[in-house]
Amino acid sequence: MKKLLLVLSLLALVGVGGVVALAEKYTVASDTTWPPFEWQAGDGQLVGFDLDVMRLIAILEGYDVEIVSYSWDIIFVDVGGGSVDIGASGATITAEREAVVDFSAPYWTSNQAVIVMADSGLNIASALSPGAKIGAQIGTTGAKWVQEQLIDKGVDVTLVEFNLYPLAVLDLVNGNVDAVVQDEPASRASVAADARLLIAGVIETGEQFGFFVANGDPKGILPKINDGLQQLKASTAWSDLITAYMGGAELTKIEAAWVAAAPYLAAKDVVGFAHALAAGATAP
Amino acid sequence: MSAATKHDLGDVILRVEDLHKRYGKDEILRGVTFELRRGETKVVIGPSGTGKSTLLRCINQLSVPDKGRVWLEDVEITHARTNINRVRAQIGFVFQDFNLFNHLTALHNVSLGLIKVKKMPKGAALRRAREELARVGLAAKENSYPAELSGGQKQRVSIARALAMDPKLILFDEPTSALDPELIGEVLEVMIQLARGGMTMIVVSHEMGFARAVADRIIFMEGGGILEEGTPSDLFTCPRCERTGQFLRKITELYGETDGQ
Amino acid sequence: MSAAEILWQNVRPLFGALPVTLEVLGLLLVIGLTLGTVLAFAQAYGRRPLRYLCIGYEQLFRGIPPLVVLLFYWGVLQSFDTPRVLVAALALGMRSAAYQSQIFRGAIQAVPPGQMMAARSLGMSRLQAIRSVIVPQAFRLAIPPWTNEYSSVVKDTAFICVIGGLIDLTRQALMKVAPLSMRRPVGTQLILPYLIILGLFYLALTYGGNGLLAMLERRMRIPGFEMKGKVER
Repeated sequence: MKKLLLVLSLLALVGVGGVVALAEKYTVASDTTWPPFEWQAGDGQLVGFDLDVMRLIAILEGYDVEIVSYSWDIIFVDVGGGSVDIGASGATITAEREAVVDFSAPYWTSNQAVIVMADSGLNIASALSPGAKIGAQIGTTGAKWVQEQLIDKGVDVTLVEFNLYPLAVLDLVNGNVDAVVQDEPASRASVAADARLLIAGVIETGEQFGFFVANGDPKGILPKINDGLQQLKASTAWSDLITAYMGGAELTKIEAAWVAAAPYLAAKDVVGFAHALAAGATAP
Repeated sequence: MSAATKHDLGDVILRVEDLHKRYGKDEILRGVTFELRRGETKVVIGPSGTGKSTLLRCINQLSVPDKGRVWLEDVEITHARTNINRVRAQIGFVFQDFNLFNHLTALHNVSLGLIKVKKMPKGAALRRAREELARVGLAAKENSYPAELSGGQKQRVSIARALAMDPKLILFDEPTSALDPELIGEVLEVMIQLARGGMTMIVVSHEMGFARAVADRIIFMEGGGILEEGTPSDLFTCPRCERTGQFLRKITELYGETDGQ
Repeated sequence: MSAAEILWQNVRPLFGALPVTLEVLGLLLVIGLTLGTVLAFAQAYGRRPLRYLCIGYEQLFRGIPPLVVLLFYWGVLQSFDTPRVLVAALALGMRSAAYQSQIFRGAIQAVPPGQMMAARSLGMSRLQAIRSVIVPQAFRLAIPPWTNEYSSVVKDTAFICVIGGLIDLTRQALMKVAPLSMRRPVGTQLILPYLIILGLFYLALTYGGNGLLAMLERRMRIPGFEMKGKVER
């Protein structure tokens, strides 16, 4: 009898503790220089597809996230080292990176777009033909594709690498490169901002983006992310997020929509937030 | 005759016994021994490189002698337990190239030691410094920086700096050698006044006129030792050593007998 | 919205990031100054083993690029939960200390030896002489070369953009380049003007600091300590 009481009171204690204890909080590192997946809105708020997916999964799984702006150069090292819990930065799942971090289930399939000047008359074949100068951001799949699929296979093109993707586009405009190979959503945003630019075509690279945590997932975060991702994809929120961020809306419009939808986020209303965001971004 | 104007000399104030100093291979001092009496002006002469400056520096331990002992009154300066800073505060030192503190005005050059070493209140230190500057004829230059003073003025400030500390004796290390000839007089004049006023001093100098006028005793050094010591009349009229006579004749030819009067 | 307005919208956050750069700059200068002074005095007046240790420190930190020092410190210190600003300031400050110690040592050694001798002959202790005679003179001699070091560390602060979670001027600007280039219809046109404005921020920091230092130098100016090798205006 005494023993039972003890067990009961212990259980009660644990139960109370569980209720009282604050929700788990994870830090999310993101290189916020890369719209529409992650960037800094005009008011300083960090927004983007990746970050909102992170926020909504956190709501579904009952933990808190703090998003920290990180330089791309050290994001894998720091997530791998455990000083930050999750990486969410439009990262393609590769075997090399798997050595340092563990990836979630893929959440996005990306292709590479080839941007050219509209008046150049180039198409996707001529833009990537021998003699062409092709710009891409250092360390991106675009740069890797040009290297592996063209240069390494003996196609005589020159790869010009840039620290930031927009600088590659700038050099295209200035006539220093003939084409830029870059992730499709970002390319579409660039082309929409400058009538002189044109997407000559899309290379179906089909690379898959994943969120990532330290090797071996010591904090047990990955199951929560995968479970939340599955729930999110099953709801209308997923297509709403895609509509909002990948639908070609101007970034400033998305930012305004985000601010308008933010109260839903505070209220932990996943579906409501995504819906409001999509509605705001696509409003005429 | 200068000796006739001399005051009576007091007790022994400084005793130097068998000082030795070597720099690397060169033995600069090879056993120097002498005494200095209160009120005495002793002029040290001799060819260059014979250890005259080293002797002065070894007295107040700016150079540490290898061997030998120095007493200031009954305190052995060379003793390891002696507080050397306290001793130095009682021994003025006037350098050949002045070594005025470049970042301080003439006034503050003179007052710094009073404030930092003697812990005198600032106001009193400045008053005292002004008095000393007036004594060397530089009352009007108290706000000048060293770079704004002539060599002669610099050396007079440096004498004022030494005087302000109320030293028991002052060591002069070739005080006029770095000066243009026309500036030597003003410095010698101050030194003559000091000697006549009863200040105890050791002066390393080539100024034979000065030596003749105010020295109680002259030491002739050569090769790191004292070759001869005597009154000016002894040395100038009939030096016992041939070398002393040679040197005196040569130096008088070269420099004449400036005495600043 | 006009191009100027769009530009201004993106320049405004730079003012928000300025305090981070200033904080790191100030902290690294203090660290560099303190440590640099200690190193300089240890080298000028310390015993031989200490002197060699300091020279070793100097050689080490002057030989490594700031970016590498920064990443190394980041790697080591983040596991101790050190504030990010402090990591950046420590890394850059300890590097700057190596350069500053050279400046101060040079300045100390440029004070003629007779100054120390004169001070000691008055009965001052070594420490008193260093404090009242050597330091005030060395300080004045050190201002012009220190001004150079200041200009150089201002630019070093841009390296902190590689540290996570610290939004300094450069990091802030990099975060704005992509959204700025996607504004319709201006596209990439504003990137260069924007980066030039970023450069102006650093220029202002450099010139502002140099101006303050020149003012300090004028206020401390004493006949005989005129800036050597600089044309008087």
